[in-house]
Amino acid sequence: MKQSEFFTSRWGLILSTLGIAVGTGNIWRFSRVVAQNGGGSFLIPWVIFLLIWSVPLIIAEFAIGKSTRLAPIGAIAKTAGSKFGWMGAFITFVSTAIMFYYSVVTGWCIRYLFSAISGDLFNVSNHINYWNDFSSSNLPIIFHFIAMLFCAIIVYRGIVNGVEKINRIFVSSLLIILVILLIRSVTLPNASEGLKYFFTPDWNYLLEYKVWLNALTQNAWDTGAGWGLILTYAIYMKKKEDISLNAALIGFGNNSVSLIAGMMIFSTVFALGGADAMDQISQSGPANTGITFIYLPLLFSKMSGSIIINTIFAILFFIALSFAAITSLISMIELATRTLIDFGIVRKKAIVVISVSGFLLGLPSAIDINFLINQDWVWGVGLILSGFFIAFSIIKYGVNKFRDEIINGLGSDIKIGRWYNYIIRFVVPLQAVVLLLWWLISSTTWDPEWWNPFHAENLGTCLAQWFVVLSLFILTNKFLVKYTFKNIV
Amino acid sequence: MNLETILTAVLVVGIVWGGVVFFLSRAIKYERTKVEKD
Repeated sequence: MKQSEFFTSRWGLILSTLGIAVGTGNIWRFSRVVAQNGGGSFLIPWVIFLLIWSVPLIIAEFAIGKSTRLAPIGAIAKTAGSKFGWMGAFITFVSTAIMFYYSVVTGWCIRYLFSAISGDLFNVSNHINYWNDFSSSNLPIIFHFIAMLFCAIIVYRGIVNGVEKINRIFVSSLLIILVILLIRSVTLPNASEGLKYFFTPDWNYLLEYKVWLNALTQNAWDTGAGWGLILTYAIYMKKKEDISLNAALIGFGNNSVSLIAGMMIFSTVFALGGADAMDQISQSGPANTGITFIYLPLLFSKMSGSIIINTIFAILFFIALSFAAITSLISMIELATRTLIDFGIVRKKAIVVISVSGFLLGLPSAIDINFLINQDWVWGVGLILSGFFIAFSIIKYGVNKFRDEIINGLGSDIKIGRWYNYIIRFVVPLQAVVLLLWWLISSTTWDPEWWNPFHAENLGTCLAQWFVVLSLFILTNKFLVKYTFKNIV
Repeated sequence: MNLETILTAVLVVGIVWGGVVFFLSRAIKYERTKVEKD
């Protein structure tokens, strides 16, 4: 299969890849995790893990995608050897399983944007009831359908006319909107208290291993490193396109967006939230919904004496949130679509298959939030394993050879030094192993029936679902790899 | 705000936003060079 479509420029590629990385996790998850982990203390390990987890893995994904021109199954099989195609299949499955429920979450954002535009959001006496009424109705299904349909149409239009064009508009607008919201929130009376909390370190927290592990998880979550999504977009990079500089820009750019969102949310909550502000941020409700869909709409209604100004800021916030969600969902659909293309299915047919199955398999999450929480838990943790598989495939290929021939090869603007070898060989695998072990041990303490696979968030459900998926892919490895390579000309 | 808070803010924001400014300026520079070469 000859690669015929490419991102038109470096900026198109960067904005599209930033669209993957910047998602709802930057806006709602980041603030909650900062609040739960000692404010400013959390930011220090968070920056360290940006350097030793996110950026190295983003470089790896760019390099694997650019050199193999294949979706994760073929890409990992070509890099690590055909015995390891199942690892690529696992990476694909994790991101696709996340896509099923992420479409539902995107639907929630769009629904709240509509509510803000229509003015409904400020005619509510109780925001908790408003959320509960919405989530228990059929509306999440309708908005899940709208989200999936919209994103599928974008992917259907192709990389240049669909993915790149929409990301150029949405990501640029998202950044501008976040800066406007930041300026407004830091100029609210008492906003400095929020900033003070956000940046004041409590050194005792730095001695707690949980803070470090949460900082790593947050980086794995919000940069998109190790998901296979950046790898997929890298398929469409021009040969002469740089890897390392672009990857660093994505990692730092993504975390900059998190900082803007965090400063905005902490300023707003401390300025308008009153005494229970910290509880509201750190106890976010099911699937992290609390702060975004229950508490912030309440705060926006108190932002000024003018309902028009309040409505404008609420609309801007939910536009930003919807854009962040849509651009990430598009990349997940593209990953699954590209996998089918590698199997020999034509692009347009592949998109129809993925979007219809994506809608159907997202229905359980749209109907029952506990199902969504379960999937979020199982596949969210699975991302650490995905990151490990990417590092493993480079180790198998030969880190030094990979760095010399691919990362520092044709088109590289900056050369990566030997430090990269140590990070991929030792630091990334160590981080993945420590994080998974910590999680395995601690999850046995928070659920007495930790072995029960039918509980929403415990060890049993995770191991059971991983076992089924990994067994299936290991058993069908030969078939998966054969069909992928059969279609390469 | 005390000195600790200010130093943490400068360090974190400096590294993260400084990284963006640094890498973005390099990217712009290399793009310009490429256009001139072409």
